[in-house]
Amino acid sequence: MVWFVVGIALALPAGLWLVQVNMEEMTVEWQGRPGLSVYFELDASPERIYAVKRFLVQTPSVKTVKVTSAADALAEFKNYSGLGDALELLNENPLPASLQAQFADGITGAVVDALTERLGQQVGVGEVVVEKTWLERLNDISSVVSRLSVVLAILFGMGAVLVTASSVRLAIEARLDELRVLKLVGATAGQIRRPFLYFGVIYGFGGGVIASMLIAITVLVIEPPLQSLLGSYDQALNMVGFDPIFLVVLLAVGGSLGVLGALIAVRQRLAALEIF
Amino acid sequence: MGQIELQHVTKRFENGHEAVADVSTSFAEGSMTFLTGRSGAGKSTFLKLLIRAQQPTRGKIFVNNINIAGMPERRLPRYRQHIGVVFQDHHLLSTRTVFDNVATPLRVAGLSEKDVARRVRPALTTVELDGKEGLYPKHLSTGEQQRVGIARAVVIRPKILLADEPTGNLDPALSRHIMELFARFNQVGTTVIVASHDVSLIETMGARILNLENGRIVSDRVTEVPSGLENSSGEMS
Repeated sequence: MVWFVVGIALALPAGLWLVQVNMEEMTVEWQGRPGLSVYFELDASPERIYAVKRFLVQTPSVKTVKVTSAADALAEFKNYSGLGDALELLNENPLPASLQAQFADGITGAVVDALTERLGQQVGVGEVVVEKTWLERLNDISSVVSRLSVVLAILFGMGAVLVTASSVRLAIEARLDELRVLKLVGATAGQIRRPFLYFGVIYGFGGGVIASMLIAITVLVIEPPLQSLLGSYDQALNMVGFDPIFLVVLLAVGGSLGVLGALIAVRQRLAALEIF
Repeated sequence: MGQIELQHVTKRFENGHEAVADVSTSFAEGSMTFLTGRSGAGKSTFLKLLIRAQQPTRGKIFVNNINIAGMPERRLPRYRQHIGVVFQDHHLLSTRTVFDNVATPLRVAGLSEKDVARRVRPALTTVELDGKEGLYPKHLSTGEQQRVGIARAVVIRPKILLADEPTGNLDPALSRHIMELFARFNQVGTTVIVASHDVSLIETMGARILNLENGRIVSDRVTEVPSGLENSSGEMS
């Protein structure tokens, strides 16, 4: 029972930490290729599209430029959507031509903003979408998760310590007669404390094992839908953080919190222990 | 100075009750003393002061020339390892066998299991509990439980043996037997102090008797062994 309570208390902040680490990893991956998409108006002429492409190619902060014609966009959409037959019925292609540009490394937000504004002023350009927006949202979410995991780690860590302390306190109460005899025959404070510190380690360590199992089960449960979600953003799921080091740290943290709880309990109770 | 010396010792509890009031006395090495008096006279508190289970409010208690009233907490365990204590209700550990109960002080003192066995068996022989080392306290009679408590107190070969109403729950024959056990430990040089209200029994033990009333010593005398009981205590094994 104590193992489960401590396990849940450890699993929540540890799980959030994993979420945060993986979000940061995703951010780094996406930051590796930030860019923008330019969607042209439906009646934009190939010359206008070419002019915008040439403008971007000549811009130093742009690394690559790729044009997707309206016909290519339609063909791609047919492939993805499975609505090929329905689209055949349309008189004209509803999709615009577009252009995808990838920024050079080290581009600043100000340059992106200036470039976006200039592109928006070009004739034939319908909309400019900067992928940076997603990035910023992801960064914000990552930051929230990070702070949340710290707060929860403190709160649930205190919970784990208190649960261990009260469990050790119960163990002490159950063995008061024995402790009095030990004190009477000259046992040192260390000798009296030691078994209860072992209790604390076992509670904390066991809690760490339960937390690891809970996180492993959670990862197994959310992996397929997460993989599918990331696939839709052309991302592969590359889970980081849940490795042997993470498990060792989780067990060590569990054990440490257990010892801390046990220390609090033995200090409080044994200091006031009278022999008989 | 005796082996144990109390100088103007007072123990006053938070409720204002003085269990021991300005007591000064001493106990020679190898002596046997009975503390007697009515319930609440201060006998148990007197013994608790000697093992520093309680701290005197005032005064000094010297044991082997060391004032234990001022002894730091960290030094108390080693001090207590040299004192054997027996209680009326034994305070045996119900989940441990007779052997393990008696072995507890030796294990606390850090003796090897070989030495523990070497010391526990003679201690059990002394209190006539041979063959009962594997039993649990609940399987023993009250007298046997008391003798396990005595074996636990003496197994460490203490210089001082304290007993608080050790015959309180026993019939007269068993009580005499237990008192004779204490006398035998005293004969091998252990300083023995026994708190008991069984005046008729302790009058026959031929030892010093301190009578307490309201925490004060009101009489201090030595009794003679009645004729016919001189050699009843026998030899220590």
